[in-house]
Amino acid sequence: MAFFFQNLVNALQWGSFYALIALGYSMVYGVLMLFNFAHGDIFMVGAYIGFGVASGLVALTSTGAVALPNWSILMLTIIVSMFLTAFVGMIVERIGYRPLRDAPRASAAITGLMIGIILETGNLALLGARRVRFPSLIESTTYNIGGVFVTNKKIMIVVVSLLLMFALNQFVRRTKWGMAMRAMAFDYVVVPLMGVSTNTIAALTFALGSALAAAAGILFGLAYPVLDPYMGIVFGWKAFVAAILGGRGSILGATLAGFLLGFIEIFVAMIFPSTLRDLIAYSIILLILTFKPHGFFGEPYSARLRL
Amino acid sequence: MKKQFAAFLLAILFALIFAPHAWCGKNTIKIGINAPITGDIPKVGEGTKFTARMWLADIKAAGGLKVGGKTYQVELVIEDNESRAESAVKVNTKMITEDEVLVIVGPQASKQAVPAGEVANNYKTPLISPWSTNPDTTKDRPYVFRGCFLDPFQGPVLANFITKEFGLKKAAVLYDVASDYPKGLAEFIKKAWEELHGSGSVVAFESFTTKDADFSSQLTKIIRSGAEVIFTPQYYNEVALIVQQAHELGWNKPIVGSDSWGSAETVELCGKDCYGLFFSTHYAAAGATGATKVFIDRYKKQYGYVPDDAAALTWDSLLIVQEAICACGKITGNMEKDRKCVRDAMARIKEFDGITGKMTFTEDGDPIKCAVIVRISDKGEFEFYKSVCP
Amino acid sequence: MKQLKENIRSSFSRVPLLGWLFGALIAVWLEHLAGDPLAAALGLPKIPVLFGCVIMLKKPVLIPAAVIYVLLIYALPVAAVARLSASFANRLAARMLNLPIFFSVAIHLGLLYAVLHMWSEMSAYRVITLKLTLIAVMLTLSLNIINGYMGEFSCSHPGFMALGAYAASAFTVALFVEDKLFGQALLPSALGPFMFPLALIAGGMVAALGALAIAIPSFRTRGDYLAIISLAFMFIVKSMIENLEVVGGPRGLSSQPDWANLPTVFGWTVACVWIINNFVRSTLGKALNAVRDEETAANAMTVDTRRTKIIAFLFAAFWAGVAGGLFAHVLRYVNPATFGIQKLAEVLAMVYFGGLNSVYGSIVGAVSLSLLGEALRPLEILKWLIIPLLLILVMIFRPTGLVAFKEFNVKNLVKPRQRRKE
Repeated sequence: MAFFFQNLVNALQWGSFYALIALGYSMVYGVLMLFNFAHGDIFMVGAYIGFGVASGLVALTSTGAVALPNWSILMLTIIVSMFLTAFVGMIVERIGYRPLRDAPRASAAITGLMIGIILETGNLALLGARRVRFPSLIESTTYNIGGVFVTNKKIMIVVVSLLLMFALNQFVRRTKWGMAMRAMAFDYVVVPLMGVSTNTIAALTFALGSALAAAAGILFGLAYPVLDPYMGIVFGWKAFVAAILGGRGSILGATLAGFLLGFIEIFVAMIFPSTLRDLIAYSIILLILTFKPHGFFGEPYSARLRL
Repeated sequence: MKKQFAAFLLAILFALIFAPHAWCGKNTIKIGINAPITGDIPKVGEGTKFTARMWLADIKAAGGLKVGGKTYQVELVIEDNESRAESAVKVNTKMITEDEVLVIVGPQASKQAVPAGEVANNYKTPLISPWSTNPDTTKDRPYVFRGCFLDPFQGPVLANFITKEFGLKKAAVLYDVASDYPKGLAEFIKKAWEELHGSGSVVAFESFTTKDADFSSQLTKIIRSGAEVIFTPQYYNEVALIVQQAHELGWNKPIVGSDSWGSAETVELCGKDCYGLFFSTHYAAAGATGATKVFIDRYKKQYGYVPDDAAALTWDSLLIVQEAICACGKITGNMEKDRKCVRDAMARIKEFDGITGKMTFTEDGDPIKCAVIVRISDKGEFEFYKSVCP
Repeated sequence: MKQLKENIRSSFSRVPLLGWLFGALIAVWLEHLAGDPLAAALGLPKIPVLFGCVIMLKKPVLIPAAVIYVLLIYALPVAAVARLSASFANRLAARMLNLPIFFSVAIHLGLLYAVLHMWSEMSAYRVITLKLTLIAVMLTLSLNIINGYMGEFSCSHPGFMALGAYAASAFTVALFVEDKLFGQALLPSALGPFMFPLALIAGGMVAALGALAIAIPSFRTRGDYLAIISLAFMFIVKSMIENLEVVGGPRGLSSQPDWANLPTVFGWTVACVWIINNFVRSTLGKALNAVRDEETAANAMTVDTRRTKIIAFLFAAFWAGVAGGLFAHVLRYVNPATFGIQKLAEVLAMVYFGGLNSVYGSIVGAVSLSLLGEALRPLEILKWLIIPLLLILVMIFRPTGLVAFKEFNVKNLVKPRQRRKE
């Protein structure tokens, strides 16, 4: 039983990354009907920005200029990086997506893919081929609860991600901006006629998604402290699967699908020989989609390519 | 005014066209470097490039390469294979037929070295891959060599070491199923371990996929299996994650690695979690003496970090190439003849004293060399612990 | 100045394709005769392989020499011969047009092959670049059926390619090569080259079979689910091959026989272009476009939308499989890591760069990106900033790609050009 619960804890942590990243995908997909293939790399940029901010703050504290406890460094890092990465997201939208608003959707997907490559290569060119270690801002403590090992980091990661998801949900449901976003997702043509600026909403969507990706990047850095320029690729594509699996534009759907993907990967490796993990995990996804072709919370409608 | 300007342009043009004659002498030897500068493993490519430049600087400082009483200038042709098989093939073809290199060093990873070795062998151009451990790279290819030992040797070395040192009986292996080096080595370790302790003594044989960051599920399984030691023949970036996660899941028994741990980044990325662990490798950076130490210090001074094993092996490969060219005795200018001559000279090399150990090539072009067991000290340095020779 | 430009344009607008091919033939012939001495006279170490691009980036001092070389060997002869032979070529083309179209096409292809053959004969590097470019054309074209003509977004092309590559390799290696995985060769290797097409077709068939696994669940509804189903499929194929020890697992499968020479690859590419072009211009192809533009309306017009989509998907997968088989035999080594996300990004870029819904576009996209990738190789890291930037610019200014929605009309291509009426 401890074995099962241990894996449950593992899967919760792993799934929260997929969920956080999938949310950013899902929002862009829901509001603008676009595939944001640069999102995985925005996650990478967020992690690196977090790395920069955190290292800077740690260095500042160690010189004694300011006295900051580690937890406040972490909070500051998360907030500052979320803002900065949101800015990066808005730039990506401005360059890669806004000029293509009326183009076929797939073309925008390709610009996203290319911006992703530029971000990776830019990082490689700027920082060199070195991998970096994310500073360990909180000392890891392991609790043994009846044979299940839980670290304070794991608890924090899951709690922070759930909080962020909740906050996003509140934003989209309760605020005027959120309403505009939902309206845009509902009808792309009429909403601009109601005086809502498409550009503002698009930028906002990208900013929110990127901020979440940045948070995911920092949490990732805490849990898996090795960063490299290509770390976002696989994450991006898998979160893409989760986002669409969740159903178009559904926050709850993307969250659940993200966690589900994490659970499938962890539990498949638990039950079957782990060499077959991807084979079985993605066959399960394939099966789910065969029987639930609209994802979890998507409405059965026909997504039209604007070609 | 306009006319003058045009005349001026024309003059520059002519100067540019005919100037190159001056420095296009025949007395140059070209060495091709096939490195993964972009793509999955940019770090390895960077190390290769830097090492090659260091070597070239040495040659330049010596005034060139002396072969049979004549001095030749050396030119490096460094090409990026983007860490892709088809690019490595293109690059090799280009270097052999276009740049007319005498010898090729690289590609590093087996996934490029196997097809690129085929090209080199077809064009009868000697190629030495410093880092590729796949037996197919050199098999039945007289023109292809490698600079590192093979997995069938390293597996038993590790298995014997653990058995003798710790007297443990049950082992677990955690490896990347999608990458051929870890997978191959994992299988050899398993085989060697089961030969020592009977079948079933490898109680967990778990895997993940390249670029994975979470190994908790596999580690949980390993811990439950009652294993007493984990072998993980992984690259240093994954090592940091594996070790840390294992400790977070309550594992406090030994974790043992292979030569792929042998990078300065291992400790940098892993931190205190890795202190006290053992791995087998080609050379130990901390306890290094003689030429090895000189190389490490120089590299560190020039580029700011301790070279990893790929860089050290590249250095040795370049020295082997240098020795082979010198031993060849005469560079005729006839590419076919020279290449054959260098190849034969390379195959004849005996007891080459490199920074990663003494080497003699077998008939397949694989070196026979010793492995070193290294312990990561409490200061995070790689301490020499023991040497194991075949 | 403007007048001059107009003059040049009008005088060259008369040159038919045949004339250009004559010009190219003369140019490559000239390179055979005078390439080496000219390169030596200009101070170039060797003949510039890819129109001087590589050498220019490696040694900027050689730029003028390389430019002069390209002008003297390629640009001027091609232009001169094309212009001079225009009236003759026009008459010839007109004469041939009276015969069955097949005849004219065969002549053109023969000339094209002669040009490519002579051009690539100068260096082995050109041969390998050309072969991989032709394979890229096949891949791009087949993906264009799904992403362009059908208007879906499929991510599984590397998977199909892997299936084709492994199936074809297993076929040839098991039957004709003595090898440690499959043991003794079963058939004499003299028979091999004749069986090679069979191996490729087998590869294509396996890929098409794999495509069926995607097609059945994903074409039940319209939507973006194909994108993730096909992505999942790609992961599955890769993982499956990694676990198949019979074909070498992650170590890969090597020692394929060397049968994919230039004529073979060229022949298959031509067959691929021809068949796909006929497919998209057939009733089925038009039905496919109808499905893309308005599925409900297409349904009302008695188009069996699901069947149409499945057939097109399998057809595209088949060609990806064939391309994969050729790829494996060109490199003579395959491993599962080759067929990952990187390959996907590459093929997608080629399709959208070249242009959707257009055979021309796919050829342009595949050829230009392959050659660009090769030409910019000396830039190392910078190359991966320049190529994506270029693609973004193309997408912004021509959102559907360079040559989109253009029909590939063979008859139009080979017909004589008349002087423009003033």
